[in-house]
Amino acid sequence: MQILVMIAKDFRRALADRRAFVVNLALPLLLTFIMGLSFGGGFFGNSAGISAIPVALVGQDLPLMLREQLAQGLTESGFFTVTWTDSLEADAMVRRGDAAAAVVFPPDILEKFFTLEEVELQIWKDPGSSLKAGIVEQIITRGVAQYQAGEAVYLTLWPEDRAREGEASAREFWESEAFAGSFADVWQRFRRDSEDPAFREARQRLLQGMDRQTALTQALQVSPITLSVQDKSPLGEFEKKQEINLFNFFLPGFSVFFLMFSVAAGCRDLHRERKAGTLQRQMLSPVRRVDIIVARWLSISLQGGFMLAVLFLVGWVLFRINLGPDPLSLFLAVTACCLAATAVFLALALISPTEKIMDNLTTVLILVWSMVGGNFIPLEQMPGWVVAVGRFGFNYWANISFQNVMLENRSVLEAPGPLLVMAGVAAVLMIINILVFRTRAGRGGLA
Amino acid sequence: MIQVKDLVKKYGSFRAVDGVSFAVGRGELFGLLGPNGAGKTTTISVLATLLPANGGQVSIGGHDLAAAPDQVRRLIGIVPQEIALYTDLSARDNLEFWGRLYGLGGEALSRRVSELLEMADLVEQGKQPVADFSGGMKRRLNLVVGLVHSPEVLFLDEPTVGIDAQARSRILELIKELSGGGLTVIYTTHYLEEAEQLCDRIGVIDKGRMVAVGDKEELIRQIGDEDQVRFRLPAELLPELTQAAAGWPGFQGGRHERGKAVLLAGDGAGLLPHVQQWLEGRGLALDQLEVERPNLETLYLNLTGRGLRE
Repeated sequence: MQILVMIAKDFRRALADRRAFVVNLALPLLLTFIMGLSFGGGFFGNSAGISAIPVALVGQDLPLMLREQLAQGLTESGFFTVTWTDSLEADAMVRRGDAAAAVVFPPDILEKFFTLEEVELQIWKDPGSSLKAGIVEQIITRGVAQYQAGEAVYLTLWPEDRAREGEASAREFWESEAFAGSFADVWQRFRRDSEDPAFREARQRLLQGMDRQTALTQALQVSPITLSVQDKSPLGEFEKKQEINLFNFFLPGFSVFFLMFSVAAGCRDLHRERKAGTLQRQMLSPVRRVDIIVARWLSISLQGGFMLAVLFLVGWVLFRINLGPDPLSLFLAVTACCLAATAVFLALALISPTEKIMDNLTTVLILVWSMVGGNFIPLEQMPGWVVAVGRFGFNYWANISFQNVMLENRSVLEAPGPLLVMAGVAAVLMIINILVFRTRAGRGGLA
Repeated sequence: MIQVKDLVKKYGSFRAVDGVSFAVGRGELFGLLGPNGAGKTTTISVLATLLPANGGQVSIGGHDLAAAPDQVRRLIGIVPQEIALYTDLSARDNLEFWGRLYGLGGEALSRRVSELLEMADLVEQGKQPVADFSGGMKRRLNLVVGLVHSPEVLFLDEPTVGIDAQARSRILELIKELSGGGLTVIYTTHYLEEAEQLCDRIGVIDKGRMVAVGDKEELIRQIGDEDQVRFRLPAELLPELTQAAAGWPGFQGGRHERGKAVLLAGDGAGLLPHVQQWLEGRGLALDQLEVERPNLETLYLNLTGRGLRE
């Protein structure tokens, strides 16, 4: 109960503190706008440029008019830049990362289409550009599904077009002797000659024709277009190249950077409270000392979580950043990150004898950790030894966690490692923090 | 209500509190008088459970401090020397926060907060941020925050430091009212006049030691009831002076202190013509003359050999 009282007090203070508002929210939001406009493809991701997905199209046999219309349609959508090329060059483009994906129309597509033979479309994907290639795959898959649905409806409504299956045409069927005469004649004939194989088949077909659902199901099972998807492995020097949406990288990276400053300021307040005497006053109340430090940990973490939530929400609403495959993954990543960050900076506050020393330590630590932990530069583009050093900062794991969710669209269940590391850091450091706080308070070190 | 026996608090080898003993009765206003660095705040911090003692026994409200600090904390309130308030919150928010920490809530808390705002003359300013308050208003709020849970014992650590005379007067009135209401108060100060004006009994503390305890009259009696006549005089002339003064009316004795002769007499003013004549006879002028009635300042000077503000 008293923990909630202390958390509520910290929130009221945070809301009343204009300087904290500027540092914790206004500045990060300003940076979000600048980065969003620079790297996020403009408001709502509307403009071409970085947000447009490069796609190679292979289909030399398609008539020129059809190719032009297809290219124009894709380009005007604003989502794609289109290059018509041959299969060899398309393969190379995808492997080099110059195209996120290639769509390959088979050479005899039109002939097969008009003779109702099965057509196979191919999509070649660049695994290093999984998000963009995935978008291409989704759109093509949806197009094929729409075509199949239309074809199925068509065949259901006009079953006589099943002639290609080698059956008698519907017209011949309806004009056969089985249906000659009045309705009563047909009815009697069906009952009387029910053992006749010809009538038995006719009865079956009639029932099938009446059952549209069955007909539709059968039609859907016959797919005139199939889709095959291949991941193309990168070539030589392009093996390490990972295409990323820059804003999807920068927003979480910079958000964690600002989170560290915000959380550090919150933890530094422990020194200010000590200097002002409010910490001592709390310690003289009946509140357990462990509750004082836990409340501080939770309230700073909550404020940090609120800050990240606002930044990500603004990034999503205005610049269409990817928030991951499900809300839970992002929520867990944000929670673990904030709890770990607060535990780290609380530890720093408890071991720093004065506010000034803590100030200096946090500034140095945040800048160094941000540089080596991947907040400013993608980890893939940093030397191995720097990445190895970066692993010692919690922010490295936070960045990996956000990249998994927001860049690679993976749920936390697929890649729980970074989350577990952050949870471990938070738990271990908080145990240490509680012990240090209790010891220092018991020895009068906080008086 | 409070028993302190041979209390010791050390910082390394330095003994900030060195065997202090005193007792305070229920409803008594006890002053701890001493200069800065004498050990007053350290003593209060130990009694309030903020610092662990290195020796001695303390009992508050019948609870042993070392064995039952939690019970002691429920009995006591503290008003620290610093303005221990959240200045970004309003006065009411501050009082409500501290009240909730002590388990108050609902209507009882709301009523108590209103009482305390009234007590501190801050009803109209209750919703203003404390940062906008004057020094005196902050001090008054700082004081009533220590009362939010209706403690039986209140520790006041120099609550009038840094405020003007009018604000100080209001705080002292408030403390008198509280003491009159039966609250036990320990009041630290280095202002003699505050201790004289407020306290039922006074403990004089210097260099971590309690050098005298008693009410004002008892303390003054410790240095006698004589006036003190002080003036500049070379130390080597003191024997000659005391020899001559033995025949002057009311003369009780003399000593030399920091460049000055100190003559004790029942009527200090009556001694002055004799002093003047004696100095003139030796070609000396009467320089830096002071005639003092016995008071706590002279007591302190006698006990410690230095002034309270040195």
